[in-house]
Amino acid sequence: MSFRLECKKIRRTGLAAAFLAGSVIAAALPVINTAARPDTFSSMTGSPAAILSDANLQMISMLNLLLITAGACILYHIEYADNGLQKIQSLPVRESGLFIGKCGILLPFVLMMILFETASLCFCGWRWLDAGKEELIEMLQTLGFTLLLTLPATVTALVIASACRNMWTALGIGVLCVFMATMLSTDNFIASLFPYALPFQILPGMETERVIHYCIAAVCETAAACAAEIIHLKVRRLFA
Amino acid sequence: MNIFTLTAVEFKKIKRSKILLILIAATLILWFPNILNADLNFDMSDIGISPENSFFIQGFMGMAWFIYPAVMVVATVILVQTERTNHGILKMLALPVSTPLLCLAKFIVLAVAAAAFILFMTAGYYIAAAAAGALNDYSFILAPDYVLPFAGKLYLASLPMVSVFWLIAVCISTPIFSVGAGLISIVPSVLINNTKAWFVYPMGYPFYLVMTEYGEVAENIGKSQMDPIPWIPVAVGITLICLLISCLCFGRAERR
Repeated sequence: MSFRLECKKIRRTGLAAAFLAGSVIAAALPVINTAARPDTFSSMTGSPAAILSDANLQMISMLNLLLITAGACILYHIEYADNGLQKIQSLPVRESGLFIGKCGILLPFVLMMILFETASLCFCGWRWLDAGKEELIEMLQTLGFTLLLTLPATVTALVIASACRNMWTALGIGVLCVFMATMLSTDNFIASLFPYALPFQILPGMETERVIHYCIAAVCETAAACAAEIIHLKVRRLFA
Repeated sequence: MNIFTLTAVEFKKIKRSKILLILIAATLILWFPNILNADLNFDMSDIGISPENSFFIQGFMGMAWFIYPAVMVVATVILVQTERTNHGILKMLALPVSTPLLCLAKFIVLAVAAAAFILFMTAGYYIAAAAAGALNDYSFILAPDYVLPFAGKLYLASLPMVSVFWLIAVCISTPIFSVGAGLISIVPSVLINNTKAWFVYPMGYPFYLVMTEYGEVAENIGKSQMDPIPWIPVAVGITLICLLISCLCFGRAERR
């Protein structure tokens, strides 16, 4: 019930259109980037997935994170504006159900963005770097890895948004987190575990052991963020 | 009410908005890693830049490319949303106050927030340079007669960007689109700065200014020119057009 209700709530926020537009922009970036200077890329050594993700994935991840932050803020802003949240709290439903419903809205959008970007990167690889089937599969793996590493940031953004009554506080914290992620050095493994820094890790050229560590970290951080939200809701209820 | 009273009222409205906290946090996040990694600035012989110049440029580069525009987007959200919650804007529109003046007053608040951020950045730079100097036994501090005019130029160069963000915030009343459009417009600024038509994209001006300065003080970095023609006329034109349209559009969604 919660999920269908959430779908109805976002109908007039323009969230779907915003994510669609964001996906198209993010998908257009690598195409423009490669089409503008195909010779630079085709003369590089390395697999198409490595070349293309080195050239584009940082920027794409940045776009994804910004859109996720803004989307999460809006999802909770529609609850806080006009005190919708109070009405939800008075209903005989669990408040954490609301959070799960919001996750159920935001995650498909993130998936959609990454699918668009995968399609665009695969197109670039096929069109300009004559990638074969194996190279395209490597591309899929790269983007799948990015999707997994984007999950902690998505859930964290929702936790921040649910904790802040004003949209700008959540947006400000989110923007600061994205900025912090760009300031952290990538060589340091511990620093790169920061949820917003994870999506900037690129799969091609990474050791298998490190990949596994990142995957475990992403799952753990997502679970930790969900746990933090549930505890936060309980505590907030106690002191409300 | 004249523009001064209106601006004073607008400042009162955002008194409790924590915008200063966000600005200070951004300054801290920016300079703290720079202090810790200050020793990297000694290893710049292949670029041909002195350590103190490198420290200064690296910090301001980090600010101009992302956090400064992003903080300005957040500030526009603050200004717009304080009015929208509880329909404050309807009360303002019912008063015998000219709406363009109201819009201008809000823009002045935004411009002051931008100035405050640049001020914090500059103050943060001196504190960070002193701290990094104490850690590495080297003086990173540059003379104020170089830093302050540069900060001033950076501020003036960013005003067109601020006015574009204000236009986006006023004209797009759906929050997700105004926030999303503002944030997303930051990302391609580096790409556009590399083209010949960089001067048509206000979001790239601050970063371009810092990059030009980088080319000045470093010997082996490609020089980029910031020719005042056609940049200044285009920038002034963009600012005026954005302000004009936002003043005309202000409150239109609420009045219908």
